[in-house]
Amino acid sequence: MRYGKVAPWLFITPTILGLVFFRIGPIIAAFLASFTSWNVFSPPQWIGTSNYVELFNSGTFWMILRNTLVFSLMYVMGVMVCGLFLAILVNNRLRAITFFRGLYYLPVITSTVAIGVVWSWILSPRFGVLPNVLADLGVHNIPSFLGDSRYALLTLVMVYIWKMSGYHMILFLAGLQNIPEEYYEAAKIDGATRWQSLRHITLPLLSSTTFFIGIIALIQSLQSFDITMAMTEGGPNYASATLSFFTYINAFVHFRMGYASAMSFVLLIIVGVITFINFYARKYWVETVD
Amino acid sequence: MVKIYRKIALYVLLLFVGSLTVFPFLWMVATSFKSMGEVFRLPPTFTSSALFTDRMWDNYRTVLDQHNFLRYVLNSVIVAGSAALGQLFTCSLGGFAFARMKFRGKNIVFGTLLATMMIPVEVTIIPEYLLMLKLGWYNTYLPLIVPSMLVGSFGTFLFRGFFENIPSSIEEAAFIDGANPWQMFYRVFFPNAKPVSASLIIIAFMNNWNDLLRPVIYLESNRLYTATMGLMQFKGAYGAQWHLLLAASVVSVIPLIVVYISLQKYFVSGMLTSGSKG
Amino acid sequence: MKRNLVIVLLATLLVASLSAFAMAEQITLRYFMWDPEFQQMEAELIRGFEAENPNIKVEMTALDPTNFWPRLAAMAAAGELPDVFSMSTGYIDTWARDGLLLNIQHLVDRDLNLDDYFYNVFAEDRFPNKDTSDMYAIPYAWVGSVLFYNKDMFDAAGLEYPNDDWTWDDFQNAAIALTIQSNPNRAPEQYGFWWYGRYSHVEPWVYANGGRILNENKTRIAIDDKAKEALQFLSDLTNVHGVSMAHRDMAGMRQQDLFPLQQAAMWVDGSWMIDHVRTVAGDSFRWGIAHVPKGPSLEPGEERSYYWPDSVGIAATTKHEDEAWAFVKYLIGANRPVETYMPGKVPIYKDIAYSEEWLQQDQQPGNMELILELGETPVRTTFNMGWSEWRGYASTGGAGMNGELDAVTNGQQTVEQAIENITRDGNAVLERYYPEP
Repeated sequence: MRYGKVAPWLFITPTILGLVFFRIGPIIAAFLASFTSWNVFSPPQWIGTSNYVELFNSGTFWMILRNTLVFSLMYVMGVMVCGLFLAILVNNRLRAITFFRGLYYLPVITSTVAIGVVWSWILSPRFGVLPNVLADLGVHNIPSFLGDSRYALLTLVMVYIWKMSGYHMILFLAGLQNIPEEYYEAAKIDGATRWQSLRHITLPLLSSTTFFIGIIALIQSLQSFDITMAMTEGGPNYASATLSFFTYINAFVHFRMGYASAMSFVLLIIVGVITFINFYARKYWVETVD
Repeated sequence: MVKIYRKIALYVLLLFVGSLTVFPFLWMVATSFKSMGEVFRLPPTFTSSALFTDRMWDNYRTVLDQHNFLRYVLNSVIVAGSAALGQLFTCSLGGFAFARMKFRGKNIVFGTLLATMMIPVEVTIIPEYLLMLKLGWYNTYLPLIVPSMLVGSFGTFLFRGFFENIPSSIEEAAFIDGANPWQMFYRVFFPNAKPVSASLIIIAFMNNWNDLLRPVIYLESNRLYTATMGLMQFKGAYGAQWHLLLAASVVSVIPLIVVYISLQKYFVSGMLTSGSKG
Repeated sequence: MKRNLVIVLLATLLVASLSAFAMAEQITLRYFMWDPEFQQMEAELIRGFEAENPNIKVEMTALDPTNFWPRLAAMAAAGELPDVFSMSTGYIDTWARDGLLLNIQHLVDRDLNLDDYFYNVFAEDRFPNKDTSDMYAIPYAWVGSVLFYNKDMFDAAGLEYPNDDWTWDDFQNAAIALTIQSNPNRAPEQYGFWWYGRYSHVEPWVYANGGRILNENKTRIAIDDKAKEALQFLSDLTNVHGVSMAHRDMAGMRQQDLFPLQQAAMWVDGSWMIDHVRTVAGDSFRWGIAHVPKGPSLEPGEERSYYWPDSVGIAATTKHEDEAWAFVKYLIGANRPVETYMPGKVPIYKDIAYSEEWLQQDQQPGNMELILELGETPVRTTFNMGWSEWRGYASTGGAGMNGELDAVTNGQQTVEQAIENITRDGNAVLERYYPEP
């Protein structure tokens, strides 16, 4: 509004410095690398668009791309619903609510390795609690949740949602706290039920928060390497691998940095388009406070 | 009367959900007391035979005494703490500018910021490494702190979202009172962002704490190692010393819990303040 | 007068030589290794080396393999490789090809008495030809594949233990007798055997049958009939006789736990697993090791054993070639304490391998000299450039040849289909590394 011409740039000086020096430079280098064959320990060799051609001809890549889209869609929806639910639950002024907030945050900070081990046990066909309970309940043909290529990806998404719900709980909580109490009080005086308050006050006022939490969740869904590594290692045969995992493998196990860079930029374009569409559609469903 | 039933129901629900979230952590703690051979059993066991005996704290003793682990945790506190505070500074300022100010190129800069979040670190780390070598920052904490301090894309995004949400009536009132941009930020907007600030510190601290790739390639001196590198000592070429790894993991998680709990006081149901005069 | 002159001269000489000695260069070597679990023991080793070589100091860094390779690659990209570092069979070809490793053949020829070492396995560190070319790294230890078997389970079934005369039929019959399934609707409580697509599970059988997976030059996939016979044998064990579980059923269990936790009576894997079995099983059951049974198609003179080394290499860019080589000799030689070798990992220096301390006959399995027999036969492996991509290993264990064979154990495809896929996909990878076959 009336901040002048200089102030904005002053305020974003640290950001610009960081962007220019530490992000844009390496990203441009990575972009150039995508046109090379580079095993990291030796100098890169220019091969033009060969990496991209190989990608688009690779059945594995298309499968993994499909996995990534499915994974992201399920993760974003799942983690936001769970996060919001938890946030509403802990937004109560109860005694020891801090204890519960801590409890729900635990999966976020529990080491991924430990989560991988414990969940693998629970879901293990031979000794796992879940399959055995299901068998006792008379369910037939219980699949191997992590070992069967039809279910591995879905199982992985659910564990990741379980892990990160607490993270989104905090973000939604901050958003909930920004809604002035007066609105709720006024609604109560008007005789609104809790459910109506939720629908007509909370959700609309939360829509802006929801929007950017959604973007954050989308980006998080692209960083599923750790949980994939801990639970399935992308298996069986890449059935549960997303681009995050595939990029890491190609970069630091096979040392095909050029190829890994190429797939990152393909992903960037796709996600960029999705995000752009979201920003554009924002004005249709996000309500601002004014 | 209904109120009490409601409260009880709420507690039951809270506990139920809590039981679903806590068990891997409980396993981590329980296993940290076991001996190496006891960790993987079929069917898995929960408690250690060493519990409540003299040997109970053996793993912790080994980790802390013989492996210098406390030092590593302290290092991580310094690194992650600096990075988190730095991000708070950078991202709140930047988020405020993006949210409330108009300037040319705003959308381009913001779009670039967002786009940089979507490139995985694996493909940028080698160019970044070569850059750091040129800067002479190898074997220091600078590569671990400065980039994340200066470019918290996520944090800027967070603050922008929240600052956008504050009614312009408050802003107008402060302008009428003659506030300059800095005062607008510092006395009007920032105080209202306590929950956001707390969230950012929690998340930035945790993300920096868990980073393993950067410490691995930038740190050579053992005395500089962070907690994540300390954990790595317990992994060998052929398997891991799980009992020690988990004991160290438990120690490593404590600062994260402390940060989280201590910042909870900022998550109080908010009354938007209108700020005081400049 | 003359005597004083002599004294002064002698004194000057003494001082001069002392100061020359004091000015002998202090050299620091950087050493990177990939086994943090043994870091403290290696530190002891280094202290011993430094005591013998007062002008050399060694700075060691230990990183677990997942982090070791990215770090080393980054250092190589910057031209800052450490002087001495661990090297594996999976990467040595690429590193040698790219000129990052010092050619040490002249040093080996000059300083080492080859009879003192398990010479056969040096072949794995030669590039490009495994039999005739120069060495670019040198082993400090090697591991081979053995058959683990549960003696208690054999006793309970009234079976004789595996021996060197066993045929594959003997093996199959034993596996069937050792599989116990009381409820046909549930999985067997005890499997007679256990295998999946992993390299240390599969290659031993192929080689025991005289088969090949790669062509002679190790540049293309060329699975021959004898190899196919071996794969079919393994597939039948799972799908026809039901003595080994489908890969999807082992989810949630670490593969190396199945035998020590008594889920399977027999298991083929590398000898380094001896340490793991001891740790996990303790004294809960009696077990032993044997050779992988010879296959029906093996011709005399065709014996090839599956074993491979862990090596150390010297950076081509090192500024201290002599000192680095002195350190490497120490790492592989007689001075290295037995404790630095994990049980089941064979020291490259024969005297240590044949010593009582290493053979540990008072501990299970009690017959580790069996492993040493492998080292006396010619070696064959599948390691080449791009191995991790086409074979599937560690974090890519679900893919490549590993993944295709897993699908066979799941009953999702036949051995023929698997071979077709492995050949097509594997050659696509190998063509990138070896433009000519």
